[in-house]
Amino acid sequence: MLWLCIQFPSLPLQALTRAQPRADDDRPLAVAEQQSIVDANPVATQRGIECGLTIATACALSADLELLPRDNEREAQLLEELAQWGYSFTPVVSPQAAGPMDKGESRPACLYLELSGCLRASGGLQPLLQQLQRELKQMRISALMGLGHSPSAAHMLSQLPEHRQWLREAKSPPSAQQWRQWISFSPSKLLDCDHKTIAKLYACGIKRVSQLLAIPLSEVGSRFGRDFVNYLARLNGTRHDPVPSYQPPPQFHSELFFPSPLDNSEQLLFPAGRLVRELCQQLQRRQLYAQQLRWKLDFGQRGCKVVSVEISRPQLDPQRLIALTKLQLERFQLEQEVQALHLTCGQLLPLAEDALDEDLFGGNSHLKCSHQLLDKLKARLGHEAMSGVTLRESHLPEQAWQSADTLVLHSGRRQSGHQLKPVNAPRPSWLLSRPDPIKARDNKLFYRGEIQLLQGPERIDGYWWQHHRHARDYYIARGEEGSLYWVYQDLTSDEWYLQGIYA
Amino acid sequence: MSNAENVIENKQLDHGSRRQRLNRLLARADIWQAANEQQRSRNGIATGYPGLDALLAGHGWPRSATTELLVDQSGIGELSLLLPALAEMTQREQMVVLVNPPFIPYAPALAAAGVRLEKLLILHPRGQRDQLWAMEQALQSGCCGALLSWQSGPPPADKDLRRLQIAAREGNGMHFHFRPSSCAASPSPAALRLQLKSNGEQLALQLLKQLGGPSGQRLHLARNADLVRRDQPLH
Repeated sequence: MLWLCIQFPSLPLQALTRAQPRADDDRPLAVAEQQSIVDANPVATQRGIECGLTIATACALSADLELLPRDNEREAQLLEELAQWGYSFTPVVSPQAAGPMDKGESRPACLYLELSGCLRASGGLQPLLQQLQRELKQMRISALMGLGHSPSAAHMLSQLPEHRQWLREAKSPPSAQQWRQWISFSPSKLLDCDHKTIAKLYACGIKRVSQLLAIPLSEVGSRFGRDFVNYLARLNGTRHDPVPSYQPPPQFHSELFFPSPLDNSEQLLFPAGRLVRELCQQLQRRQLYAQQLRWKLDFGQRGCKVVSVEISRPQLDPQRLIALTKLQLERFQLEQEVQALHLTCGQLLPLAEDALDEDLFGGNSHLKCSHQLLDKLKARLGHEAMSGVTLRESHLPEQAWQSADTLVLHSGRRQSGHQLKPVNAPRPSWLLSRPDPIKARDNKLFYRGEIQLLQGPERIDGYWWQHHRHARDYYIARGEEGSLYWVYQDLTSDEWYLQGIYA
Repeated sequence: MSNAENVIENKQLDHGSRRQRLNRLLARADIWQAANEQQRSRNGIATGYPGLDALLAGHGWPRSATTELLVDQSGIGELSLLLPALAEMTQREQMVVLVNPPFIPYAPALAAAGVRLEKLLILHPRGQRDQLWAMEQALQSGCCGALLSWQSGPPPADKDLRRLQIAAREGNGMHFHFRPSSCAASPSPAALRLQLKSNGEQLALQLLKQLGGPSGQRLHLARNADLVRRDQPLH
């Protein structure tokens, strides 16, 4: 077993600020919880602000300090996202939330990854670690890493600066002997136990783990308790060290929070791009695809707005998804300031082998680009501006067609089964949305001049069993200027109407 | 003296490359040459009306270009003029897009003419900007076989028409633009301009402009016999 522990020491701050562009890094920032500082950015740290200070002291140290309240929920969500990210490397992942505050210190949140199964796929230890580092940097999350034969050992070693130094140049996982050396070398304050125990250890003069290991276990047990002995055994690898395994949820959700709200939809594109890239990485690794991106613009107290981008075909290219999102966002003006941006994909579907557009030989390129066109049009014009037409089985002319969803276009191939046939009679190519009354005078009909009946009647009589009987005599008529019209006489009222035009 | 000789030499050297450049120029679609009228590529899309095909330079609707149809009145057969070409496009799995049609395209009639309805897309964009954007996108995409657009509101600016013409060339699609005949006097970048009128019985066509071909001819096309057959009055 080869466990990697990634600690996130400044998760409280980064959960709140990572949405911002880098330019804002020169202001002192700190996160506070229950009147004390939990986390501070480098500028604030330089001015002496550190964890555990009270808010009053911190403000005295730096007058222009910006304080943000800690958001545990958002932190948990970010950790969940990180676990998903870790899941893309190895199936054995275990996130661990931050511990409670205790005397100005708390155990930072961390993530355990079991690496022995994925070394070969990633091309060895060094490339894998470099990739992890690089992607964390891209996500703008600072992390400390440690490698161990058990999760407890990895967690302890991730706090040891010498070990981290070694890890930067490590080419292959160390032997069991080396690990034992690392653990013995560690100062005993790195042990994962409460302050009281550590104080007791120091009181006994035990400054390094090696000193502790030299004492017979029975004596350690009588002094520090059974749990501490168990912990030492897990650290040594003589006992199993179980951690809860993580299973990714079937949907994607990610969000970015803006400490200073955005009031311009163009500014939204930068964070949106990052969310889409995160989504695409997840999808790519889990071999899934999304049919719909739901963007939620959070206006804080003043509600929110949901924008959805529909994707007709499996699409993993972030650039295309961003372009579609951009079209949607361009459609409206932001009336309120956006405080957070959420991206949710409800249903992730498994990617069939042949479903992806980027096939090597580009066989079905016509269909592919028509899907892209439809997506683009839908994103900018909206659903309501697009339609198709299909046939319907009905005697009544106005019910013999229906507006079809554009999805019909997507199917690409003819539907098997019952095929509707159009009526075998000359029908007009234009239909009026509602019949236009025609004036009748002295046995003559007038519609933009006198019209003459050429053919007819064709009687269509339907729905006599219902309230509204449709009994009509249809004629083809010619107008004064040569236009051909489809007109009918309503047999119940003897009125004349124009219903279609032979264009 | 020596200077002049140099120039002459240069000219001779350049002769070959000049000839190439000239050939390239002559190969352009929009230069009409009386000499090789017979050899011109006939790459148009058949209109379905032999009489009209004979008049058009490419022996059919010009591919990858805008065709302007100047019509004042609907019902004179302006759509049935295009239907054979549209039906062929949909049968070749290419999309046909209607932008702002004045009435509802009636599915039974279109299906009877051979149009595959699942390849037909109808757009009603709001506002002229969205309309032009949608038209340009559709034409550029390369999957839109034909785009029919009806001018609504103010006439589009010359630069917009040119952009659409270029989009049609890039995407290799046909663009049919219906405009009122009051636009006949204003210049247009379209490759083909046809005026459509009715002389009472027939559809009267006049070629106003044609790239790479003569213009000014007139043609009368009869309406479908099934439509204009006159029944004996019943009473």
